[in-house]
Amino acid sequence: MTTPSDTASSRPARLVLAAAILLAGAPTIADAYIGPGAGFAVLGSFAVVFVTMLLAGVAVLAWPFRMVWRALRRRRRARPLVRRVVFIGFDGQDAAITERLMAEGKLPNLSRLAERGSYRRLRTTFPSITPVAWSSFSTGANPGRHNIFDFLDRDPRTYLPRLSSAHIGPVTRFLKLGKLRIPLARPDIRLLRRSKPWWTILGEHNVWSTVIRVPITFPPDRFHGAQLGAMCIPDLLGTQGTFMLFTTRPESTTFEEGGVRVALEHNGSASSFTATVKGPENAFREGNPPMELPLELELDRAAGAARVAIDGSVVDLRLGELSGWVELDFPAIAGMKVGGLTRMMLTEAGEHVSLYLSPINISPGKPAMPISHPSYYSSYLEKRIGPFATLGLAEDTWALNEKVTDDATFWTQTQDIDAERERMLHVGLDRLRSGALVTVFDATDRVNHMYWRYIEDGHPAAAGVDRPEYGDAIERQYIHNDGIVGRVLERLDEQDVLFVLSDHGCTSFRRGVNLNAWLLANGYLALRDGADPARPWLQSVDWSRTRAYAVGLVGIFLNLKGREAEGIVEPGDEAAALKSELAARLGGLVDDETGTIAINEAFDTDTLYRGPYKGNAPDLLIGYNHGYRISWGCASGVVAGRVFEDNVKAWSGDHIVDPRLVPGVLFCDRAVSSDDPHITDLAPTVLTLFGIRPPGHMDGRPLIEKERP
Amino acid sequence: MTALNRILGALVDWLQRPLGGAPPIVGLVLWSIPVSVFALWVFGKTSNQTRIAAVKNQIAAALFEIRLFNDDLRAIVRAQWEILGRVIHYQGLALVPMVFILPPLVLLMVQLHQYYGFRGLAPGESALLRVELAEPGGERPDLRIEVPEGLHLETPAVWVPALGELDWRIAADAAGDYQVGFVLGGETATKTVRVTDRVVRLSPERPPRELLAQLEWPSEPPLPADGAIRRITVGYPQGSVGLLGWAWEWSFAWMVVFFVLTMVIAVALKKPMGVEL
Repeated sequence: MTTPSDTASSRPARLVLAAAILLAGAPTIADAYIGPGAGFAVLGSFAVVFVTMLLAGVAVLAWPFRMVWRALRRRRRARPLVRRVVFIGFDGQDAAITERLMAEGKLPNLSRLAERGSYRRLRTTFPSITPVAWSSFSTGANPGRHNIFDFLDRDPRTYLPRLSSAHIGPVTRFLKLGKLRIPLARPDIRLLRRSKPWWTILGEHNVWSTVIRVPITFPPDRFHGAQLGAMCIPDLLGTQGTFMLFTTRPESTTFEEGGVRVALEHNGSASSFTATVKGPENAFREGNPPMELPLELELDRAAGAARVAIDGSVVDLRLGELSGWVELDFPAIAGMKVGGLTRMMLTEAGEHVSLYLSPINISPGKPAMPISHPSYYSSYLEKRIGPFATLGLAEDTWALNEKVTDDATFWTQTQDIDAERERMLHVGLDRLRSGALVTVFDATDRVNHMYWRYIEDGHPAAAGVDRPEYGDAIERQYIHNDGIVGRVLERLDEQDVLFVLSDHGCTSFRRGVNLNAWLLANGYLALRDGADPARPWLQSVDWSRTRAYAVGLVGIFLNLKGREAEGIVEPGDEAAALKSELAARLGGLVDDETGTIAINEAFDTDTLYRGPYKGNAPDLLIGYNHGYRISWGCASGVVAGRVFEDNVKAWSGDHIVDPRLVPGVLFCDRAVSSDDPHITDLAPTVLTLFGIRPPGHMDGRPLIEKERP
Repeated sequence: MTALNRILGALVDWLQRPLGGAPPIVGLVLWSIPVSVFALWVFGKTSNQTRIAAVKNQIAAALFEIRLFNDDLRAIVRAQWEILGRVIHYQGLALVPMVFILPPLVLLMVQLHQYYGFRGLAPGESALLRVELAEPGGERPDLRIEVPEGLHLETPAVWVPALGELDWRIAADAAGDYQVGFVLGGETATKTVRVTDRVVRLSPERPPRELLAQLEWPSEPPLPADGAIRRITVGYPQGSVGLLGWAWEWSFAWMVVFFVLTMVIAVALKKPMGVEL
């Protein structure tokens, strides 16, 4: 019996059949012309097949020479113990939460993994933050050897903060043609992570690695394998993620964090608006004016919907619903555009109208910066799985902190990015016949940060919220991770080894500690006469009278003579004495309001780290207790205010605490030899599994014995 | 079909009239623009744009894979197989819009072929004039040919019994449009012959009253279905297309040029028109 769906599905077939009959019966002249479109299909297909054959031919012909070249360059033939090693990283997956959920039977795949192989708490780095921990995962070394100590470093010449992991310098050589400038060099973009990651060493032994979104891989490493960069990849504006809010609201205040407010102007009617999206600086023009795209918004108030036209795209939005990725091509000069991706959401459609634009990600298909190795790897992934987030911190935590977006929007963002990541993982796994694959998922960390307030009674950031809709978000995320593991497990066999790990855990962030305020109150830091202590980035500090200051998220620097531009503390005994004094006074520091110990211990990094770069570390590392962290004000270099204050932002959980409080997790489908593994142990482990002796610079020890597991 | 040909012929004649004195390349460029726009629009409306984009992306990804895994011969072979499969899929997706594009385009192309596929006779030039009878074989028919002033026959009729054909060489003396008459047993028929150096509608064949024949040769009304004469053809010289002193003489040359022009225009317009090809 024919159903309506049968009829519908057979319609195209009938049309094709009719076309074939028509072509077969039509005169010679008609046969000769197939028109643009169909013509393109024929010619394009021919071109594709031709290029394929050409590429394949070249590859086949070059293959013997490549093999000989690799054999000559190879240090020593590796004798792998396994076929594939797969790492799944869940940034921030907390050991205590994981264990509780396993005990409740909510993580069946991880439980199975633990039963079949092993589960351990994974010791993390000092400090317990993502860039540091994953750098130690990559290099098997402590921060003193890989040079990453924090998200932010400070320039000792200016005391201003700078990105710790990458240097992005401007182009300095131009050919000037009137107002037009032709850059004569590429911008200076350098990875500041030192030491050698394990995938580079594997590559030297001709073992392929696919490295997807492991933090601190911007710009990417060059090695025998493929890599998609992650943390510290900027957005198209060059920042670590600047959202935009186009609004008719008259407020002139700027956002505290990572956002800009742009006026949405009426365009002739009450429901028609225009604005300008300011993109990246145009290096081709004198003065680097921003590239711009006009935006038009037509509002349907009754339906709570809007139609946004931008750069040739028309996007239909419904109130509170995040759009898919929208491509933006900012015109630089004739024939040259800079590609980006953004997501939009109509956040208000009443008396006032507001439109949210997520940070403009560098387009993976046409990357304006080196975000992958080989350079076309991001384009390859984009062709395989569609557009995806490239920004280092891709989930827009800042917009949620600023209440521009809400819990639901943030949840959608994180889950969509997680889904993109999982597709990448499976694309990588599909094509990995032998070698290593590592994929890091960020959502757990972001969900921990932003929804922690709902799992803890009386968290100041959840004040007034009785029954939060996302109260179980963290649990849902962990269960989701378990699903990811399950799907990967199904695709592995006995010749493969799977590790599931996290770089650190998470705990509460109820109270912020302004270290600079404490240093000021205790006479270690001084302000210039009449200076406003609320100015950011320590601009109010009198350096000639300051002995210590806090920059970044994790520690305190001494104002050391010969190192800092206006240093006053003599290196040697004076510095050592000052450090000891600070460590003694900060260790066990009590929050007078709550009577709780806020800082467990202040660690002297001179004894904490080994390696050539330990001099770049903060002099003291602050090990906060549960519930405490550096305050928002101190993190942005503000001296003013109280030492302790409530954290009322959505960012309510954190791991910038005493690292012993927030271990990560390590699962493996094989037995591991250590009861107390450290994140630096993974790099020597993977090398050992591929039959390579770990180099001496690695601090970690292999977790699997050198015999066939 | 006769009525359709009459309407289409009148329309194309009207549009083509200003181009009569221009070189063929000019007319082809001008015709290719609306044809490209039309074909692109139809392609965009009738094809599954999402799937076409997806298939093209996968083809591009497989091409990237050949570069990415150039040490791995198995990966290269796998990518090639994937490309082959995707290309076939892509072709299949392009078939549906072709169903909608082809009918109007075929009708137009046939009309344009009458202008650009051939050129008119020049004074002093001759061509083969052929009459095909409805019943081949048998005795030589008593067919009388009436040649107007301005043309003359260079040869007597040659009878090919097996094909039922009578052939003459007819030569042009002066420019003009002529009607050559044929009388056979009380039945009469005519055939136009044009002697001109302009790009004008030519009729290489007066077709029989059959659908496909009328579709291919729409410039003159068909001969009666029950008549003794089935078809009359004039062997006009092949048309030529050229630019800057270069010329390509072939009756289908215009079609190749037209094809390339429409492709180029389609490439230029696909983004503004938002069509995935």
